[in-house]
Formats: sequence, structure tokens, C-alpha cells
Amino acid sequence: MEQHIVSKKHASSHTVLRIKNMVFKFLKTVFLLVFSLLMIYPLYWLAISSFKTTEEFFRFPYSLPNEWTFDNFTRAWELADMGTAMINSTIVTVVGTALTVFLGALTAYVLSRFTFRLKGLVMLLFVIGMLIPIHSTLVPLFSIMNEVGMLNTYLALILPYTAFELPISVFLITAYMSSIPKEIDEAAVIDGSGYWGVFFRMMLPMSVPAMSTVAILAFLRYWNEYVFALVFINDTSLKTLPLSLSIFSDGYSTDYALTMAAMAIAVIPTIVMYVFFQEQIMKGMVAGSVKG
Amino acid sequence: MQNILRVKYLLALTLLPTLLLYTFIVIVPIIWSSYYGFFKWSGMNEPSFIGWSNYMEVVNDPIFWRALKNNLIIVAASVFGQVPIALILALMLRKTSLFQKFVRSAVFLPMVISTVVVGLIWGYIYNPEFGIVNAFLETVGLETWTRAWLSDRSVNMYAVAIPIIWNYIGPYLIIFIAAIQNVPNEIEDAAKIDGANGLKKLIYVTLPMMWTTIKVAVVLCISGSLKAFDQVFVMTGGGPAQSTELLATYMYNNTFVIYRYGFGSAISTMIVIVSLVLILFSQVIMKRKDEGGIGI
Repeated sequence: MEQHIVSKKHASSHTVLRIKNMVFKFLKTVFLLVFSLLMIYPLYWLAISSFKTTEEFFRFPYSLPNEWTFDNFTRAWELADMGTAMINSTIVTVVGTALTVFLGALTAYVLSRFTFRLKGLVMLLFVIGMLIPIHSTLVPLFSIMNEVGMLNTYLALILPYTAFELPISVFLITAYMSSIPKEIDEAAVIDGSGYWGVFFRMMLPMSVPAMSTVAILAFLRYWNEYVFALVFINDTSLKTLPLSLSIFSDGYSTDYALTMAAMAIAVIPTIVMYVFFQEQIMKGMVAGSVKG
Repeated sequence: MQNILRVKYLLALTLLPTLLLYTFIVIVPIIWSSYYGFFKWSGMNEPSFIGWSNYMEVVNDPIFWRALKNNLIIVAASVFGQVPIALILALMLRKTSLFQKFVRSAVFLPMVISTVVVGLIWGYIYNPEFGIVNAFLETVGLETWTRAWLSDRSVNMYAVAIPIIWNYIGPYLIIFIAAIQNVPNEIEDAAKIDGANGLKKLIYVTLPMMWTTIKVAVVLCISGSLKAFDQVFVMTGGGPAQSTELLATYMYNNTFVIYRYGFGSAISTMIVIVSLVLILFSQVIMKRKDEGGIGI
């Protein structure tokens, strides 16, 4: 009898605990859901607004479009000459990314496989570079480029982008190459490969995972970069996507739906990349910022 | 011997392009701007040497101090916004269910968005006519709170800090999730056996195990938020009446709007000094009593 009461009491406290747990779990899920929706909301708003007419945008800014129109996209594309901007952004981003990966891998090969007297100094230089705020180099870089006539060229963007991305790229690839056993390149040397042979035939193909992380990070950064482009590029025919958006913040500032469509066009490529390479982007950005 | 020479030649040849590019674009400008800080120069005329006057003018300019204060507001908002939010979320996101993955992706998403887009879209969110902030306040009956968020000088610095917080929570979340997953299961189980549950376990077991990581995150957050510029530049350009000026917008406006290159160079040098001091400071206070390495 007594035992029966005890077990009943025990059971009821157990249910209380279980209910408490369930309520807690429910609240947690609601919180997480609301928080993620808040995080996404600005982009959701961007997406739905770009399909509205400006009139509808003003009358019902937050509802779904009554009638989905692609008109804004075509108008934005033509008005801001986004086709040209897209080509410019692609050239700068692709060439810059390729250069970054190649120089990064080459430097990483030397740093991970050879010891030499100035190695410490080279590493120190890269660390210093990561601590320097990029915008503090704007004025001097502008003057230097002005002097050598490099303003308003693709190189005015490709070279600074690459230079500032090099420290992270070098550190990421060096860490990866250091983990490749030395016996592998020793074997290649015995088989008659020179240092270049080892680099191109062994190290480069084996470091593809690190190099692709570097490439993804560089791609996103170059595609989105704004300040250098703003200062070094004046020529309309050389404007990159972020610059082409800025015409909407002056001239057509009241045509909000149009601006939203232009922003959507600029954002789509990076979102697509994010969907495909999410894990790599997260890991790479975290590794990049920790090393920085 | 010949072989050693060949290796040296090869090393020099391979490192040269990287080092040349890097030195000329990252290192030389720092020296260049501290030098041109001593000149009066409009970019067109011959620079004329004027000693310390640019530097003195920067230090005596109240706008410089306001910009510095605004920069510190951004740093504080980032440290006290991004890090705690990321930590709380990470504690809730220990599993790898589809829902939890979705939350993680949503929080990280702003990281891949162009900063210009971030600036423009948040400018619209704060818009007094159709922005959702005011619309929301009106629906919940707080009409008196509505205002022009980006031009009202009593709130606009805080208003521009929120998009920056929103922008960069992601990496800290990922860092913290990794750190939590590194807490050995045995320790968690031992704590449970000892009767530590929920809050107790969090305070006495999980958080102390993550302390090193939290410190690293704070240091990263300080150096990262010193680089924030684009969003504020797009939202307000440092205005109205220079109320949201950051050191970088202050430098930009003086150099590329009113063409005072010498003065702009002096500001650039001050930016480098301020950043290095703050980073050093954060390292020192965070390194105290710290024996471990990076906890990732």
C-alpha cells in the first residue's frame, strides 16, 4: 500500500518535469523561429518589394505583391546599366580570385616546405597586414595609383583586393599544406620531380580543399566590395555592381521598388553561392576571422 | 653548394611576386600616409611641408573626437550585441536537426550580402514614411516612439549600430557552437550525476569550459567592428551634421569631398594608431590569467 503511494507520487512529479521540459522546448523553438525570421526579414522584404509597382509598394509596403511584375528588374537592369556592371564585377572577381589562389598557394608552398632566415619576417608582415584597417590605406593608395596612372582600370581593384586577401589565404593554405606528410614530396623528388614539379603535380592538386575555401571567400569579398571601387573607379563603363546600386540612392531614390529590384539582382549570385557552399563558407569565414 | 644556391634562387623567385604586391599595397601606404600627414596638399598642387599642423588639427577637432566616440559605440554595440546573442543562440543550437540547421543558416545569411545592400535596405527599414520600424510601433500603440531614426541625433548612432550587429552575428555563432561541441560528453555526464541540471550546469560547467573561446570572440569582435564603414556610409554618409561620423567617414569626407589630402593622410595615420591601440588593449585585458590557446 505504502509503496503504491510512493510510486504514484514519483510518477506525478515525473509528469510535471516532463510537462515543464515540453513547455521549455516549445518556448525555445518559438524563440528560435521568431529570431530566424527576423534575421531573414530584410531580405524577404527586398524580394517581395522588387516584384511590386512603386504605387503598390507605398500603399501596402509589407504585403505580398498583388500582381507579380518583372518590370522593375528589366527597368533596373537598363537604367543602371547592370549588364555592364555584372560583366565588370565578374572580370574583377574572377581574375582577382584566380590571382589570390595562385599567389596564396605558391607562398604557402614555400612557407610550409622550406626554412629560411627571413621566414619569421614574412609571417610578421602578413600578421601586420591583417591588423591594418583597410580604409586607412585609401588616401595613399589613391595617390599612388593616380601617380602611376592606374586609376579607372580593372587592376586598380584586382591588385588591392588580392593584396588584402593574401594574409588569410596564405595562412589557410599553409596550414593545410603543413598537414600533408613530407614523405609524399620526397617520394616525388626521388621519382625525378624538381621543386616546380612537386608544386604543380603534388601540392597544388592535394591542397584543393583549402584552395577552394580561399576561392569562395575571395569571390564573395570581391563581388561585394564597395569602398575601393567607390574611390578608385570613376569611369561609368568600369563600375562594379555595388557601385551601380549607388546611382539608385541618388537619382532614382523615390522609385523604391526599382531600387529593390536592382539590389535583388546584385544579391542573387551570392545567395546562390551560399545555398551551394554553405558549410564551406561558414567554416572558411570563421577560420579566416580567427586567423585574422 | 650549387644546390643550395638554386634553392635560394627559387625561394626568392616564388616569394617575390607576392611580397612585392603585398608590400606596395598594404605596407607602403601606411608609411606614405604618415609622411604626407605633414604636408598641405589638395591632390593637385605641389605638397608643401607644414610640420605637425595637420596632426594638431586632427587632435583639436571636436569632430575627430565625436567620430572616435561613435566608433567606440559601434565597437561596444558589437561586443555587447553580437557576442551575447551568438552565445545564447549557440546554447540552444546544440543538435543538428533540420530546424536547427535552418536557424544557423538564417543567422549566417547576412554575412554573404553586399554591405551596400545592407546599408540601403536598413535605410528603408528606418524610413519614416514606409519603414517597418515606425509601422510596427504604430500597430502596437507606441506612436509616440516613432521618429526619423537616421536623422534624429539622439538615437541615430544606435540605429546605425543595429544593422552592423545583425550583419555579423553568424561567425560568432559558429565559433560558439564548435566550442560547445568540444565540451567532452564525460564532463557533461559527470555534472549530471552530481545533480547539476539546466542553469547550474550552464554556469558551473559549460560556460567555464567555453571561457577561452568567449575571450577570443570578444577580441575578434573588437578588431572586426573597427573595420565597419560601408553600412554607415551608405545609410547616412556620416550625417546629418556629422552626427554619425566614424573615423573612416571623417577621413573620406575630408579627402575625397573637400580634397584635403594632407589632412586626410593625417587622419588615416590616426586610424591606424587608434586601431592598433584598441586591438592591443583588447588583447591585454583578455589575455589576463589566460593559460590556454584558442579554444577551437
